[in-house]
Amino acid sequence: MTDISRIGGARRRRDQSAEDVLTPQGIYPPTEEMLAEPVDPELRKAQEERLKAVWDEPPGWRYWSAVNNSEVGVWYSLTAFGFMLIAGVLALLMRVQLAVPDNEFLSADRFNQFFTMHGSAMMFLFAVPMFEAISILLLPAFLGARDMPFPRLSAYGYWAFLIGGIFVMGSLLFDAAPSSGWFMYPPLAIIDEGVGSDIWLLGLSFIEVASIAAAVELIVGTIKCRPPGMRINLMPLYAWYVLVVGAMILFAFPPLIAGDFLFELQRSFDWPFFDPERGGDPVLWQHLFWIFGHPEVYIIFLPSIAVAAMIVPAAARRPMLGYHWIVLSAVGTGFLSFGLWVHHMFTTGLPAMSLGFFSAASEAVVIPTGVQLFAFVATLMAGKVRMILPMLWIAGALAIFTAGGLTGVMIALAPFDWQVHDTYFIVAHLHYTLFGGMIFPIIGGIYFFYPFITKKKMSDRLGRVSFWLTFVGFNICFLPMHLTGLLGMPRRVYTYPGDIGWDWPNMISTVGSFVIAAGILVFAWDLVRPKPKQGYTERNPWGAGSLLWSHDIPDPGWGIRSVPYITSRYPLWDQPKLLERIDAGRYYIPDAEEGLRETIVTSAIDARPQHIARITGPAWCTIWAAIFTGGAFILPVFKFYLLAGLSGAAAVGAVIYWLWTSTALVPEKPMKDAGLGLRLPTYVSGPSAPGWWGVFITMLGDMTAFASLVFGVFFYWTSRPDFPPPGSPHAVPLFVGLAALCFLAAWGATLFARTQNRRHDVVTARLCLGSAAILAIVGVGVLFMSVWMPGLAPASHVYPAILWGLAIWTGAHMGVGVIMQLYCLAGSMFGKLTPRYDADLWNTTLFWHFLLITGLVTCAVMGLLPGLL
Amino acid sequence: MARPGVEDGPEDRSLWHMIFAPTVWAVHFAVCYAVQAIWCAKIGGDIATLRVVLVAITIVALAIISFFGFRAWQRWDYFHDRDYIHGGETDEDRREFLGHTGFMLACLSFVAVLYVAMPFLIIGSCI
Amino acid sequence: MWPGGPVLICAILVLAGCDGPQSVLAPGGEDAFVLANLFWFLLAGAVVLWCAMNGLMFYVTRINPRELSERGAQALILWGGIAFPTVVLAGLLFYALSIMPEQRAEGDGGLRVEVTGEQWWWRVAYWPEGADEPIISANEVRLPAGSRSEITLEADKVIHSFWVPSLGGKSDMIPGRTNRMSLAPTVPGLYRGQCAEYCGESHAKMAFTAEVLTPEDFAAWLDAEAGPAVPPDTALAREGRAAFFAEGCGACHAIRGTPAHGRVGPDLTHLASRATLAAGTLPMTGEALARWITAPESVKPGALMPGYDHLPPERIAAMAAYLEGLE
Repeated sequence: MTDISRIGGARRRRDQSAEDVLTPQGIYPPTEEMLAEPVDPELRKAQEERLKAVWDEPPGWRYWSAVNNSEVGVWYSLTAFGFMLIAGVLALLMRVQLAVPDNEFLSADRFNQFFTMHGSAMMFLFAVPMFEAISILLLPAFLGARDMPFPRLSAYGYWAFLIGGIFVMGSLLFDAAPSSGWFMYPPLAIIDEGVGSDIWLLGLSFIEVASIAAAVELIVGTIKCRPPGMRINLMPLYAWYVLVVGAMILFAFPPLIAGDFLFELQRSFDWPFFDPERGGDPVLWQHLFWIFGHPEVYIIFLPSIAVAAMIVPAAARRPMLGYHWIVLSAVGTGFLSFGLWVHHMFTTGLPAMSLGFFSAASEAVVIPTGVQLFAFVATLMAGKVRMILPMLWIAGALAIFTAGGLTGVMIALAPFDWQVHDTYFIVAHLHYTLFGGMIFPIIGGIYFFYPFITKKKMSDRLGRVSFWLTFVGFNICFLPMHLTGLLGMPRRVYTYPGDIGWDWPNMISTVGSFVIAAGILVFAWDLVRPKPKQGYTERNPWGAGSLLWSHDIPDPGWGIRSVPYITSRYPLWDQPKLLERIDAGRYYIPDAEEGLRETIVTSAIDARPQHIARITGPAWCTIWAAIFTGGAFILPVFKFYLLAGLSGAAAVGAVIYWLWTSTALVPEKPMKDAGLGLRLPTYVSGPSAPGWWGVFITMLGDMTAFASLVFGVFFYWTSRPDFPPPGSPHAVPLFVGLAALCFLAAWGATLFARTQNRRHDVVTARLCLGSAAILAIVGVGVLFMSVWMPGLAPASHVYPAILWGLAIWTGAHMGVGVIMQLYCLAGSMFGKLTPRYDADLWNTTLFWHFLLITGLVTCAVMGLLPGLL
Repeated sequence: MARPGVEDGPEDRSLWHMIFAPTVWAVHFAVCYAVQAIWCAKIGGDIATLRVVLVAITIVALAIISFFGFRAWQRWDYFHDRDYIHGGETDEDRREFLGHTGFMLACLSFVAVLYVAMPFLIIGSCI
Repeated sequence: MWPGGPVLICAILVLAGCDGPQSVLAPGGEDAFVLANLFWFLLAGAVVLWCAMNGLMFYVTRINPRELSERGAQALILWGGIAFPTVVLAGLLFYALSIMPEQRAEGDGGLRVEVTGEQWWWRVAYWPEGADEPIISANEVRLPAGSRSEITLEADKVIHSFWVPSLGGKSDMIPGRTNRMSLAPTVPGLYRGQCAEYCGESHAKMAFTAEVLTPEDFAAWLDAEAGPAVPPDTALAREGRAAFFAEGCGACHAIRGTPAHGRVGPDLTHLASRATLAAGTLPMTGEALARWITAPESVKPGALMPGYDHLPPERIAAMAAYLEGLE
């Protein structure tokens, strides 16, 4: 037993005066005697009523203002599943067109729209959102948390996803869908007439932003919202995968957003980033796209394997054999998957040695990927296997994925890829990996977790029918495609001649595709069919060991009744009386005395309790924020730039309203009783606060996007002889230097404001914040002057264009920085931000650390580059 | 359980230390690719010198990975209790788990660096 | 697991048809032979490993679902999941890296073919050794057997990819860049190539014929290809030539030996000597020519060439007859 105050005190910061720092007080960890003490039944009943009142969802139409993970997660998953069905129908229509040679069922243009949207929707509207949806739904339960740390952010992400998804998919109905492939290669996508490419770029960028938001939340949830005692070595494997995948999204999506930024600047304003005649290079897009695109494959694969990692121990009735092997392979795959992207570009004519590096990494990633599969088989080997239905889907997944993995080993060998690249062999390979690595495990997972969500089971019989239809249909459809590809059939052809041996394998594939569709339909029916007569399942129907199955039946809405103290990887198997004590409210935060939604925040590695976080409840402002953000992204497609600007401003307004009214509120009391003799602060700022982590993680992603732009500068330098073009003017060094000084001063003033505020010198803090905002604005002005004065014309050549691009990027970020400073200033004026309750100022300072890097690197590239190159 | 004299340091409760080795792999990978790309695009020709440079970079990377691997191995401390499951609730379990995983990641990174070194050992041109 | 059905179907399929004019598995060149052999080797290995992995899975879940040795399971991960793949993958990587320079080796110096990807056809220029100016052709690539020819690849507006599966791997054609590859055909014959990078609406209709000739035949053919077009020898064809110029076809197409010098569309000097029309899309017949001139859009959606369906069919038939004579 340790007195908890000692631990908190060790991390005390210099600039925090003692009376302002609140640390946990009391006893931790709890003793067995404390846990064994019974709870007064009267108290228990009162607590349950209060909890229920707090966690009840709003009635009637107000239901849609809900933000709780159990609601948002369900909407999110069903929406993603709906988009999957639409994308699947597109695939069927394409298969009909390809069933016979020289078919005229679909026109060329429509076919091209369909394959573009099939790929885009499956990737952006199904695979990644599905991971986020399922994780939002399940993660808090796995971690014994009441909700995600930022519920309104999940809701915002969902509404953004819904609006963006409907916009992008809706374009099909107007025959205006993008038709340049899901990879949008320039110059094709740039010279493409109509709004298709813009819909893709802006609509999906919008969704990517939502994806990153969800990733941030999932990472923070995993790191900060575990139950007391659940150290990093006891975390459910699912949480490990979420952590790894969240981090991957953070580093994989931003390069694509940077690419979209450049691409849309070219589409809208003719800045020649990808135009070789004016110094641009279409290959830069391919790099940025695939730096996103390959990790993306693992971003899809790992969460599904995470689901499998929860089913396998339940089926084997023993702990996963080699927990550490799984962690190794998840983390290892996460890293190695960033060294594979050029294997999508093996035929672009890069030097053989460059290809070799990526070929090597592509082979190396097979090792950690294989380890996970072997760990599953080994677990089954060492356990007493029950072939429950979810396990059948996992077994099918392994059979399919292994085949996809083995063809993956083949095509990772660059010379072999020169033959089969962009043929149906690849189509077969990728569907083997994605069906085996995503569809099958997810469906297995839905069968497995369905009783957790609805407290009822899906049909075992329909499940088996669906499995065999899907499994057999899949192989009939995709196995022959290997051959079709080897016979020379390229991808993305809307038709083919009848005399070169491609007709019968295509016909077989078409038949198979309809068998798959039948299987998926049976599953979909089983999923949505009303089950009124069916009784509730038992509480832990599969006899699994994870905390998730501790939720009560029927679902009382509050998630977990009291947050337990965890001492094992499989608490339901290893911790006797756990359920009983959870239900009794014996553990932490069993009550909601203040009528506020709360969850417990713990330290990142050892899960020591740090804080009781008040989390947000139902709201409409998140929906408005999503609608206006959508407007800011969607309206430029139709060149309504003014309206888009207004919509963007309204979105900022909605977000500020949301933050002001519901985050970092001054609590009614500084500490509260968490149960089991532990008192925890109700407000923390700095690195203990989930919000701080949210900013930190978001900014890591933002830095990645910025790094991609800087990479672009150096890419042009290596790939083009005329960068910068001879005789071109450069940014004015004096102004660039001045801008750098302004940014540095603005950062310093912000930092000083935080320190002074802590020292109760509120006046200086306010002055500093105000002057920091002015300095930042002046800096941005001077930065723009430096490229405007010498007459750098961005449409003339890629060199001035990229300088303007960097200036715009930095300017926009400084704008956000200024808004944050002014928000803190207003907070200080209106009593929302005080010397003690200063989380917003901590977050703003953190943001400014990253902003300073952006500003200084931009200035360095602009000012110093011409001299260096 | 706790071994006398072993006190938790910051690196015993740090995820960052666990991922140092694969980070070295990533840096090695990026540096090899960048050096080779710039060499072939801007300098060309002399592959022998390029090879020497890349081999040197690789040796440094392997040395750093070995160092991190060794530190992680010490943290794992396998021969003390031959534990490789680390499913308990103590500081020691957490420390050994992070050490064990860090050690294996170092092994994986070591192999991956060797893989990435193969191209410039085998391919002798910018073709 | 029930892999029986698909495996059986696959076996029948494989036996029935690895052949084909565009098949990776029917090689006619050095590079393609190496890669086809590599594929068969990889396939055999993959089948064995797949059966081992899934056989084990089947055994532990269906045949013997009891608790088996935990030590054995640990050993399975260590040896099967780590040691074995590490060694095998290193071996494969070593082999693949070592054949890469060969596959991209420089040509023997005899011939360089410059191919430019257009939407959706191929501009082809032959540069024999020491030539000052190229011999221009389109939509067909002929190569001599027994030597390695250099291929340089460029693109006009969008990215394409040049691929003749029976002769070797593909390489992209990227605007603003010049990529190079080389092919070493060994077996004379008629092969089919196709654009492998999605390049817009009629990407599917961008193929070409690749003919491998003996060195002697190739030299003779190249001589003929370098010459001007043969004049029309029938009245109908002469009428067709007049129509060709009257309708302004020469603004886009070139026919050497005539006033037609257009550079927008394919060179037609020896059109009729090619096996196909419209980049591997139609057979080289008078009927097909007439159809193409009348309504290119119906054959190749999005094609730049305007349709001439406003002309009387006789006039189009005459033009077709003229073009059909351009051997």
